[in-house]
Amino acid sequence: MASVLIDEDRLARRIAELGERITADYATRPPLLVTVLRGGLFFLADLCRHIDLPVRIDFMAVSAYEHGAPGQVRITKDLDEPIEGVPVLVVEDIIDTGLTLNYVLRVLRQRNPSSLEVCALLDKDVRRIVDLPVAYRGFRVPDRFLVGYGLDLDGRLRALPYVGTLREEALRG
Amino acid sequence: MTSGNPDRQNRPEGAQPGGALQELPCSERVAGTAFAHPSERVAAQILDFYRIRWDYEPRSFPIEWDRRGNVIAAFAPDFYLPDLDLYIELTTMSQKLVTRKNRKVRRLKELYPEINIKVFYQRDFRNLLLKYGIPVRERAHAEGGGLIAPAEDDRG
Repeated sequence: MASVLIDEDRLARRIAELGERITADYATRPPLLVTVLRGGLFFLADLCRHIDLPVRIDFMAVSAYEHGAPGQVRITKDLDEPIEGVPVLVVEDIIDTGLTLNYVLRVLRQRNPSSLEVCALLDKDVRRIVDLPVAYRGFRVPDRFLVGYGLDLDGRLRALPYVGTLREEALRG
Repeated sequence: MTSGNPDRQNRPEGAQPGGALQELPCSERVAGTAFAHPSERVAAQILDFYRIRWDYEPRSFPIEWDRRGNVIAAFAPDFYLPDLDLYIELTTMSQKLVTRKNRKVRRLKELYPEINIKVFYQRDFRNLLLKYGIPVRERAHAEGGGLIAPAEDDRG
């Protein structure tokens, strides 16, 4: 169904490298890993097992516009604990426009973490509107529809063990 | 495989498949701004939704002068995002006009290298709208060109 863009081995190697870098960079103060549900879950699970530090994990969810409801982007699931003075590393499966992540970072920054960085497995930077500092990047990816390893098509295909691309005809089929 | 769209990548949670996200909230500011093109209104709505402050065509940059120093051409990017110190220009029109606009943007960058500007082409903008489940219609050049959300049809 999907053509493989990044296979399991490449994913595993790169995630291990990112884990090593994060371990070295945060050696004195293990970070809180924050993931925005739901796609980042798979990456977070593998990444944290390659970070040789006692990291903690937490989750957020951000809502988009709901039909008929006025307003703006909002948090629908917040962190369980305060982050003031805590080093926070936001773990994302993919960044494209940067609009959602920009909002999340603004919210988190207001809570005065001791540091706030971003680790993204996939960076579709050709679609970026808001430039964001990505401290740890797995792969730059082309402007294609990606599935697998947390990325879905209408809620499906998240569990594929690789990152794949779908053909246009498959998407329209 | 049922319906799917290649441009809904990284769709925010809550955005519904199949184009249920048909109309973004319209702030008083958007409603009160006279946009030159419907696609600019949609862009402003998306920026509003993500709480990104914007100014619409706040500044015109001279880019060409005659021998006497009179300005004979200027360029006013569509949006300025003060928090990002970024100008945005939407080009949802024919390739011929895009070429002309590209020239203007290039000139702007030469004359004002301190200015940050991003150009959004029709494909970029279509992808952005589809990502948020906003169905779009491609308008004929005679109608003004560009992409518009169906709701814009109703507004004329």
